[in-house]
Amino acid sequence: MHSVPVATACALYHRFYQSASLRVYEPYLVAMSAIYLAGKVEEQHLRTRDIINVCHRYFHVDSEPLELDSQFWELRDSVVQCELLVLRQLNFQVSIQHPHKYLLHYLLSLKALLNRHAWSRTPICETAWALLKDSYHGPLCVEHPPQHLAVAVLHLALRTYGVELPLGSVEWWQVFCEDITKSIIESIVFKLLQLYDMEAKCT
Amino acid sequence: MQNLRQAATEAFHRLGLKQRHLGYEELSDLEDSNYTSEPQPHWFHTLQVRRLRVQRSRSNSDPLGGKSFEQEFQWKTGLQFGTATSYLNLEKLGEGAYATVYKGISRINGHLVALKVIRMKTEEGVPFTAIREASLLKGLKHANIVLLHDIIHTRESLTFVFEYVQTDLAQYMTQHPGGLHSHNVRIFMFQLLRGLSYIHGRRILHRDLKPQNLLISYLGELKLADFGLARSKSIPSQTYSSEVVTLWYRPPDVLLGSTDYSTALDIWGAGCIFIEMLQGAPAFPGVTDVFEQLQKIWAVLGVPTEENWPGVSELPNFKPEWFLPCEPQLFRNVWKRLGQLPYKTEDLAQQLLRAAPRDRISAQDALQHLYFNTLPPPLVHLRDTVSVFKVPGVRLEAEARDIFSPGRRIRPSLPLTKCW
Repeated sequence: MHSVPVATACALYHRFYQSASLRVYEPYLVAMSAIYLAGKVEEQHLRTRDIINVCHRYFHVDSEPLELDSQFWELRDSVVQCELLVLRQLNFQVSIQHPHKYLLHYLLSLKALLNRHAWSRTPICETAWALLKDSYHGPLCVEHPPQHLAVAVLHLALRTYGVELPLGSVEWWQVFCEDITKSIIESIVFKLLQLYDMEAKCT
Repeated sequence: MQNLRQAATEAFHRLGLKQRHLGYEELSDLEDSNYTSEPQPHWFHTLQVRRLRVQRSRSNSDPLGGKSFEQEFQWKTGLQFGTATSYLNLEKLGEGAYATVYKGISRINGHLVALKVIRMKTEEGVPFTAIREASLLKGLKHANIVLLHDIIHTRESLTFVFEYVQTDLAQYMTQHPGGLHSHNVRIFMFQLLRGLSYIHGRRILHRDLKPQNLLISYLGELKLADFGLARSKSIPSQTYSSEVVTLWYRPPDVLLGSTDYSTALDIWGAGCIFIEMLQGAPAFPGVTDVFEQLQKIWAVLGVPTEENWPGVSELPNFKPEWFLPCEPQLFRNVWKRLGQLPYKTEDLAQQLLRAAPRDRISAQDALQHLYFNTLPPPLVHLRDTVSVFKVPGVRLEAEARDIFSPGRRIRPSLPLTKCW
């Protein structure tokens, strides 16, 4: 599965639970349907069977693959039904703008700005990219516009490695994205770090 | 003889249909004048009249049957999505690959609607084309794009409610064979490019332009429809599946196997439709496989070379040894009608039908082309949702065939569907 459908699936899932309650709808079923739906939206078609098998494997690492019995068919039907539910809840608005393309453009222009040594010494690209990927674990991707997210992860990556950018008349993030402020960046970074804390507590 | 008879019955049907409409029209007008003292919602009459005249199989099982306005109204505010009971099926209009289209009527406001009923397969859920169509159309509001009113969602089917538009360009061209009036071609073309310019500005490709997908209203308004293959285009263009456009309207770069196509894809289709409207016959017709289609195109444009199309030799299907050597032709020699019209017509066709996608004119620029100079200037500054026919002086001319047989004509002056 490519990374775009994966990102779309996450975004669909988070958007669904923005308006629906976790207690009412079974999150794992919604997750499966979100993956299935994302495959359709991004033109990388997945089979329900594969999704069900992989998910089953993930939850029950040691068990046998599911038998093709009535239980399996019921599960599949509920995935399909749940897909409709997700579509309905999201009002059919399933095309999602991802921050990745913005981040890519920002990184390219940064690369031109910095000298080559500073660039190759620090893994800014990889870090920012990984941060962005991890941000999909939480609902950040539906709470903030993609440009803001891209700037925020870039900001965090730069700060982590202590890379200073040449100062201009305006801050660098204002060059990329006009409507972002320092406080927005801070709040996104804060939420992102919280996600990592939550992850640490779970394990 | 048989043809004649067929035409006669067809004309008769049409007349009959009109009369029924007219009868209804008078009736509702009459009722309107009776009730002028108290402001009654207009749809109410519409429905009453309609219910008497149209046999419906569904009305009996209809729980909302003849219920009051309040209930309908409650539906409108209470739910995000429509219910099937808010619309009545009138007749079947056509059947597509994954859907059946019915003509229907809305019980909420009495508007005629087109109901696209999508079959759902239990194993696969909602077809992806339907998902795409809905998600894209929801964001598009433009006078030259078909309007999606509502989505009805039941357990076993999904219905899209569109505005009802009388005919499409393919039908219009069959009714008026031998090429359309050059003035009408200009108006249709302007609207087609206006719609394309709007969707391309939102980074959406239609990907399936053909006359069947261009709806034409009785006034002559053209609307892009069938966004089942359309998709929004992200900034770093991805590779899409290369099975997209119907072969006749497919640009050479896609035929050669290119997958990083962009807005120029739709422009080629628009160019083909332009020629077809003028000429009365498809520009590059009648073939079943990709190589034949390419050969047809080269016969007019000449086989491309690395000089006039940098990068062409790297496309997967480019095998110069397979093609017969062809010299570029003058468009006016291939399509005779171009020779009878001012040069700017041929010039626009040439700019739309360039082999190399990056040389093709954009929809935005094409609207500024000299060809459209003779249209009233306010057209350029029209707001998105305003139809071009709102500009004074813009109207369709009678097609040649209508002059000889006026009975068959859809008369724009007649306010047949005024209140629908």
